[in-house]
Amino acid sequence: MDTIAAIWDTIFTNPWLHGLFFGIVIATVALTLVAWSIWFERKLAGRMQNRVGPVFVGPAGLLQPLADALKLMRKDFVVPREADKALFILSPVLLMFFALASLAVIPFGPDTVIADLDLGVLWVLAFAGLMLFPLWMAGWTSNNKYALFAGMRAVAQGISYEVPMLLMALVPVIYAGSFNLQDIVRYQADHSWFIVWPPGPGIVAFVIFFIASLAEGNRIPFDIPEAESELIAGVSVEYAGMSYGLFPFTEYLHSMIASAMASVLFLGGWSGPVFPGIHWMLLKTAILFTVILWMRWTLVRFRSDQLMRACWRWLVPISVVVVCAAAVLRYFLLAGGAP
Amino acid sequence: MKYIYRSFLSMWVTFRNIFRKPVTDLQFPRTRRERADRYRTSFALVHDEHGEEACIACKKCQMICPSDIITVVAGKKAESPRTGKSRGYLDDFTLDMNACIFCELCVQVCPTDAILMTRNAPRPEFSREDLFLTREKLFANEPMVTWATATKLAEMQDPDRGQDKPASAGEESTEAEAS
Repeated sequence: MDTIAAIWDTIFTNPWLHGLFFGIVIATVALTLVAWSIWFERKLAGRMQNRVGPVFVGPAGLLQPLADALKLMRKDFVVPREADKALFILSPVLLMFFALASLAVIPFGPDTVIADLDLGVLWVLAFAGLMLFPLWMAGWTSNNKYALFAGMRAVAQGISYEVPMLLMALVPVIYAGSFNLQDIVRYQADHSWFIVWPPGPGIVAFVIFFIASLAEGNRIPFDIPEAESELIAGVSVEYAGMSYGLFPFTEYLHSMIASAMASVLFLGGWSGPVFPGIHWMLLKTAILFTVILWMRWTLVRFRSDQLMRACWRWLVPISVVVVCAAAVLRYFLLAGGAP
Repeated sequence: MKYIYRSFLSMWVTFRNIFRKPVTDLQFPRTRRERADRYRTSFALVHDEHGEEACIACKKCQMICPSDIITVVAGKKAESPRTGKSRGYLDDFTLDMNACIFCELCVQVCPTDAILMTRNAPRPEFSREDLFLTREKLFANEPMVTWATATKLAEMQDPDRGQDKPASAGEESTEAEAS
C-alpha cells in the first residue's frame, strides 16, 4: 500500500507526471464520450424523425460506434496523386491535436484539471482559432475543388465568428477579474452564475457565445463548409478510412468542448449543490451538447451571405455593446467595485 | 424576429417527435413485409396444355425487347408428336437479366403465352454470368408464374379486341398504317 501511495504522491506532486496522467485519463474519457455521443446523436436523430436509430449492433445499438470505427480502420488510406502528401497526412492529425489540446485547461471539477493555466480562456480560444489551419491545409492540399471551396468557407466563417466569440468570452473575464478558468468557476460558485447575475449581459453573452461556437465548429445551422448538397463532404472529400473519420470525430469533440466552455464561462462549471463538481460539469455539458444536436436535426443551413451578415451586422455590434455594459455593471453591481 | 420565432416552433416540433411511436417498426433484413400480388422479379418459359414447350421460336420477344437482351435460337419446324400439327421448336433461349428493364413487352407480344413473369424472390448474384437466364433456368422458374399471360393482359387492356368496334377504331388503324 505504501508504494502505491508513494507513486500516487509522485504523480500528484510532479507537474510533468500530473499532466501526463490526467492528460491520458481525460483524453481517453473524452474520446470515449465522443464515440458514444455519436451513438446518442444517431438515436436522437432517429427518434426526432420517427425512426428508431441504430438497433442491430449490441443492445439498443450501443456497440455501433465500435462497428463504425472498425469499418473505418479497415478501409484503405488513399493519397491522391496530385495532393501534397506530407500536409495531406498531417492535417487530420493536427486537427485532432488542436481539439484535444483545448481539453487541457477545462476544469471538470474543483481539482480535476490537467493544467491550471492563468490564461485558460485564451488557451481554449487560441486553439479554437488554430483549428482553422488544419481545415485549410486539408482543403488546399487535397487538390480538389470541393475541398478548396470548403476550406475557404471554413476559414472565412471561422475568422468572422471568432470576433463575437472572443468578445463574449471577455464578459466572464471582466466579471471574475481573471483569465483563469478555475478562478471564473470559483467566483461563480461563491456568488452566482454569470448567466443570472448581474442581469442582462450574461444571458446575451451566453447566447451569442453559443451561436458563435456553433459557427466555429461548423455545426448546423452554420455548416456551410461541409454543406452536403453543395460540397459533398467539405474538406474531408478526398480522405478515406480513419483519416476521414478524424474529421467528424473532431467536429463532435469541438462541439463538446464548446458546450463545456459555455457551461464553464456562464453556467457555473462544476458549481452545484449536493453532488460532486464533476457530475454538475458533465450534466451541464451534456445538456448543451444535446441542444446542439437538437438544433442540428431541426434547423436549415444559412446561406454564405446570410452567415456573414448575421455575424458582422448583428452579433459583433451587439457583443461590443454587451462588453461595455458588462464593464459598467461590474463597476456598480459586483462585489469589490473597481478592480 | 419572425425567423427566430419559427426556428423555436420547428424545434418544438422535433422535440415532440421524440416521444412519438416510431413509424419504422419493421426492421428490414430481419422482418420483411409480404410481397405484393403484382410483384414481378423474373421470367419463366412454360409448357402448353399438351405438355409441350409452348415457345414456337417466333422471335417476337427478341425483336421487341428494348434492351435487346433476349436471344432466341430457332430449331427446325417439325410435326408435333402430341397434336400432329406442324410447329416451330426452340433450340436455345437466353435472357440477360443484367440489362432487363422489366417492361414486360416480351410477355405481351408472345403469341403462345410461352414467356411469363414470375414472383420468386430476387436473387443477388456474385457474377454477371449468373444473371443470364438460360433455357434451363427459365423452365425451372415455371412453377412460380403469375396469372399475367399475353392473352389475359390483352383482354384486360382491350376487352373489345377482335369484335366490331365503334368508328374511332378505323381511324386508329389508318394512323398506324401511316406511321
